[in-house]
Formats: sequence, structure tokens, C-alpha cells
Amino acid sequence: MHIPDGYLGPYTCAFFYLVMIPVWYRTFRWLKNLRPSQVPLLGVLTAFSFLVMMYNMPVPGGTTAHIVGGTMIAVLISPWAATVSLTIVLLIQALFFGDGGITTYAANVFNMGLVLPFVGYHTYRFLTRRLKLNEVTSAGIGAYIGIVTAAIVAGVELGIQPYIQPGYCPYPLKISVPAMAIAHLITAGPAAAVVTGTVVWYVRKSRPDLFEMRAIDRVRG
Amino acid sequence: MEGVTKTLLAVVGVLIILSPIGILLVWNYSDAWGEWDVGTVEEMVGHRLPGMERLSEVWNHAVLPDYNVPGWEDKLHASIGYVISAIAGTALVLLLYYALVKSIKRRSISS
Repeated sequence: MHIPDGYLGPYTCAFFYLVMIPVWYRTFRWLKNLRPSQVPLLGVLTAFSFLVMMYNMPVPGGTTAHIVGGTMIAVLISPWAATVSLTIVLLIQALFFGDGGITTYAANVFNMGLVLPFVGYHTYRFLTRRLKLNEVTSAGIGAYIGIVTAAIVAGVELGIQPYIQPGYCPYPLKISVPAMAIAHLITAGPAAAVVTGTVVWYVRKSRPDLFEMRAIDRVRG
Repeated sequence: MEGVTKTLLAVVGVLIILSPIGILLVWNYSDAWGEWDVGTVEEMVGHRLPGMERLSEVWNHAVLPDYNVPGWEDKLHASIGYVISAIAGTALVLLLYYALVKSIKRRSISS
């Protein structure tokens, strides 16, 4: 899901930088409220996110996909915490490993660091609060819907390029969106659900107070 | 550091050691959709993409491109390169994270 430099034209790249500037401002303000006891936890989860993205999984048809860990961080701490993590991880990946890009950095953070954790988190909240589903199942379903939605959004960004300006991503929406959606529906989505469900189950079992801490944070806003 | 964080830190260690699974499992597969290099895309569509050629050149200073030591092509070397990348990436991510947390906390105290 890491869009490399060259796939998005200058207008799209500039647009996502403009969108992300206020989001980053809000994210870093949120970071001030991170409790001292949560600081190491978010650090480890950020490293976790970097590493799970190295686990490429085969997608039938010859391509690959990986999970992100954004919904897991959103459920354990806050969706803003996931934005912090992915802002860091995607920068390191682009600069040192050539994964993703510099011009596409803001778009990639938008997809994996904003759309993914917020859709995942709100799906999880809806399932636990409204449908009274248990935490673990809800987190798993949230992770699934979060990563598939983010992949579709990335597919849309790629697929609109031929309509804006030729010379960048050559594939139109009708090719890019299904390609991105299918890879994540059948491979990365189920993997994200299992990993997220397992970690949430473990943390819930061993540290239920972490969930309480998160609830207090939410009331404070 | 409390229990959950310690356990997750152990998981991070295991993920580093087992990371070569992430390339060996997909050894004969192409890149993720939409992550091919310019030449590959141009070959697939049968014409040149001038915008993509230009923008793809903006950053080519990656130290460990594609999470590997350049030139380490066979499975064994690529796996070692991958573990080195996992260690380097984890260290860099944690360094940047703590730098960010520190700078923001300091700013919030002084303001």
C-alpha cells in the first residue's frame, strides 16, 4: 500500500500535504496528553508496526500485501496514537528503505495513518457499543474493515491519475481499485483481523486497566 | 516497564529474527500492486511515463533499498540483509519516536 514516488502527480501530492498539515498539528498536540506510562507502550507498538509491514504475504495472481497494525494501536491507545506511529514509520521506510516515497509521503500517511486507524477504530467502537459484540471480535473486524478501506482509498488515489494528468500511474480506477481491494480482502485483511484480535485479547486479559486508562482519556477529549 | 510492554518487546525481537519469512514466502512473487519500478510499469503498458520517470528520481539515497544490502541477491544473503534492515529500522523508528515525544513534552512544559 506504500505508493512510490512517481505514481501520483504533483497536484495529488500537494493536495495530501495540505490535508495532512492540520492533521499533523492535531496529532502532535494529542501527543502531549500521552501518559508517561503509555510512552513505552506506544514506542513498542510503533516498532511492531514497522516490523509487521516487512511480512509480505502472497496474493493469488502474483502480487503481495502486508498488514499495518494501525487498528491495533487505535484500539489499545487511541486512533491519534496510530497516526503518530505511522507518521514515524512511513518516514523511516521512505528515507532509509525506499519503501513508499517523499512526494507521496503525505498521501501514504493519510491512507495508512489516518483512514486505516480511524475507520478501524470507529468500526470497533460501533460493534462494541451498539451491537454489544466482544472486544476481541470487534477489534478483529475493525482491523479488517480498516485495512480494506485504506487499500481502496489508495486505489482511488492511483486510479484518478490518468484523469488528472497523464504520465503518472497509468491504470484507471476500474483496474486500480479492484486490484488494491482484492489483495487486502483476501490476504492482508484476514491477517490483520487475526493479529489484532490476538494482541487485543492478550492485553485485555493481562492488563484490563489499560482499557480503563483509554476510557478516561476519551472523556477528557 | 510493565508486563504488557515487556511481552510486546519480546514479540518485537521474535519478529526481527523471523523477518526473512516476509521475503522467502513471496520469493517468486512480483512487488505489491502499484509498487513496481518505473521500467516495469512502462514495459507493462507499452509506452513511456515521463512524469513517473521524473518524480521517481527525487529520492535515491535509501541506504538499504527494499530492506536489503545492495547486491545481496541470493536467498541467504537477502535474508541476512532483511534481518539487518529489521534491526536498523526498529532502532531508527524508536529513536525518532523518543525524539518526538521528548521535544513535544519539553515544548508543552515551557509554554
